Amino acid sequence: MSKAFSFVFGIVCVIMLTFTLISADKVFRAGPELPKTVDRKQAEYHLVLITQELETPFWDKVAKGAKEEADKRGSSVEVWGSYSKDQEDFLKKLEIAIDSKVDGIIVQGLDTPDFKELTKIKAAFYGIPILTVANDVPMADSLRRTYVGSDQFLAGQMIARQLLSDMGSSGTVVLMGDSREEYYQQQRVNGIMDVLKRYPDVKTEYAETIESREMIIAATQDVLNRQPDVNAFIAVNANIADAMVQEIGRRSQVAPYHIYSFDDSKDTMSLLKAGKLDGIIEQSPEEMGRLGVKLIIEWLRGDTVPLDTDGYLTEIRMLKATDAA
Amino acid sequence: MNSIQRKIWTLAAAVLFVMATIWIALTYYNQKTQDQYNAILQRYLHMNEVTNASQQTIAALNNYLQTPTQANLQQVDSNKGRLRTARQEVMDLRNAENDFALASYMNLIDSLVETTDRSILFLSEKETEESTSAFSEATRISKYISEMTLTLLDTELKTYDRFYRGIIEQSTELKKFGIWMLLSITFLLLFFTYWFSKSITRPVLKLTQAAKELSRGRFDLQVEVTSNDEISFLAKMFERMRVNINNLIQEIQQKAQLENELQQNKLMLQESQLRSLQSQINPHFLFNTLDTLSKKAYLEGSEETSDLLANVAGLLRYNLKRLDRSVTLYDEVKVLRQYMEIQKARFTDRLHFHADINEWCLYVELPGMTLQPIVENAVIHAVEPLEDGGTIEFTIADNGERVRIEISDNGPGMPQSKIKEILEERAEQTEGHSTGIGFGNVVRRLRIFYGREDVIEIESAPELGTKVILLIPKARRSKKDDQTSDRG
Repeated sequence: MSKAFSFVFGIVCVIMLTFTLISADKVFRAGPELPKTVDRKQAEYHLVLITQELETPFWDKVAKGAKEEADKRGSSVEVWGSYSKDQEDFLKKLEIAIDSKVDGIIVQGLDTPDFKELTKIKAAFYGIPILTVANDVPMADSLRRTYVGSDQFLAGQMIARQLLSDMGSSGTVVLMGDSREEYYQQQRVNGIMDVLKRYPDVKTEYAETIESREMIIAATQDVLNRQPDVNAFIAVNANIADAMVQEIGRRSQVAPYHIYSFDDSKDTMSLLKAGKLDGIIEQSPEEMGRLGVKLIIEWLRGDTVPLDTDGYLTEIRMLKATDAA
Repeated sequence: MNSIQRKIWTLAAAVLFVMATIWIALTYYNQKTQDQYNAILQRYLHMNEVTNASQQTIAALNNYLQTPTQANLQQVDSNKGRLRTARQEVMDLRNAENDFALASYMNLIDSLVETTDRSILFLSEKETEESTSAFSEATRISKYISEMTLTLLDTELKTYDRFYRGIIEQSTELKKFGIWMLLSITFLLLFFTYWFSKSITRPVLKLTQAAKELSRGRFDLQVEVTSNDEISFLAKMFERMRVNINNLIQEIQQKAQLENELQQNKLMLQESQLRSLQSQINPHFLFNTLDTLSKKAYLEGSEETSDLLANVAGLLRYNLKRLDRSVTLYDEVKVLRQYMEIQKARFTDRLHFHADINEWCLYVELPGMTLQPIVENAVIHAVEPLEDGGTIEFTIADNGERVRIEISDNGPGMPQSKIKEILEERAEQTEGHSTGIGFGNVVRRLRIFYGREDVIEIESAPELGTKVILLIPKARRSKKDDQTSDRG
């Protein structure tokens, strides 16, 4: 009995010990380490990319391009900004960036007095270079070093030409734009008008709306009521496109209308793929980010001084529904 | 060495060692965790300190702008100092995740300090408008700092998320570990204690059983204890004791047996001899016939023959009667004379018999038919073979404790070997003896009767004759011996 007892007891002990050891291993194996204090070389320049439209496909691409370029050049870039065009927050971020004395700011231009005040006075006071990207604000107003992005006037022209080739040289075109009348939007409208004014049979109607869904829908309805024989729509501000197309779709078939827009909104690409838009202007957001960072670093290093104040234009293409499909 | 003590010490040391190990491990672990917690808390506290310092600075600046006194200015300065210290401390919090944010954060602090300075400067230059605007900017920056602090804390939480979870997991694991350890130590201790106590008590138990067996009188079971401590030593001693006792007992038993056998032999010898002696004679018929013959011879006028026959009959009667009991020396002497009468009749002049008897000694007791066979022996060897015959001298003398009886002849003597044979009771020659009782028989009976060896001596020399000396004790040694000898 004693032997069997000892044996069983021994087995139990061994089992207990095994579990104890396993447990001890878990406990004493070093847990997750505290993140180490960085001792690697500090980034050469701290740059900030500020936008009003965080986490949209367009701006994600810009950020991606900027980050790649910054990594390549041993600098770091942070993406700050606000969501859904929250201007107040956007401006605050801009001010923080200036007060934080970053080495350079790449910012989505905002054509408002506050923005100009910050860039012109405060940034200049701290000596921080500012580049506008994607949307420009004229040099005289913002004291920006340069602009990196599409030529919005050219984009307008391209869209107008596409419209003419699709619609023919006569018809009614509705331009829908944001009531804030930002500089880049004006440029686009100017571009469109520049082409269309040579075709007297093309009648243009300009509709303004606040960038909110209800207002856009209301504006669209209003236009459709006033101009029942409209042939084409151009959403000068890409953010309007979705609500506008939806409203048109509710009234009648979308297909007979020629509808155009730009790619700097999260909706336009999917609308194009769904065949609801006939064409959009595709810009090169990654190139914008990359080029922006490259230029600002070159300027900081003194390689390229001064920068071309007219801006560095990136490629734009007309993307048609037929191509996208 | 004291190996039981050593065993106990070993167990105690093992337990102590295990406990100390656990204690050290846990303390170490605890310390490590504590350090980690402290490091984390420090980070938060440092960041919070920045927020606090910036807010205090703004408050002090506000006070100063309201009432520009030296005291308030000092207040602002001290707060600025605090802010700078906080900035220094925050610098150490840099890691890969918050590198950029932290750099901005520190720059924000710098901006705040600068803006504060600017505000004070404008005030001193009486440019109140500018000063106020600088103050509002400073306020904004302070607000940004607060927000940035929150952002940083947020980042911190994200960065350390895995780490925190790790800590929580580890503490759960620690709890489990504690339980497991408690269980395994309990079992291990139980096991070792059981094993250890057994190693002490088992030998003791064996020893106890062995002692029990010994006390019951079983000395043949071997005491065997296999252990390496004092108990084993004890058991070995015990075993030796057992063996010794065993040997002693066996010795005693052997002795007792031997003695018993000896006693029995003696008794048997006596009995058998007496029986055989009795059976040799057909007593009644023989001495009745002899009596008749004696009477007849007397009636016929042959007195000599009649006497002779009477002597023979007396001898025979005596022989029959006295053989199995003790007689007095007087009786013996009497029968001896009868015998000598018979022999004289036979040998006439060839036999000379001289007796010198101390009458006072005749009361002593001795076995019947003691003297006659000795004298007969002398007759046979010292008279019969010699043409000239021989002389036999018979003396009874008081010899203190004993009565000395001497029977000597002048015959050819007895060889030493023969004497030895007789004294060692080996010789049993009855040839030529009238009663069938030989010398050897006499010696044996004498010795048995008195319970001692030194009752007979034989002196002899070739051609000088033989002298047999009997030393009869005046008193029998014990009653018991008497009874024993009377029994037959």
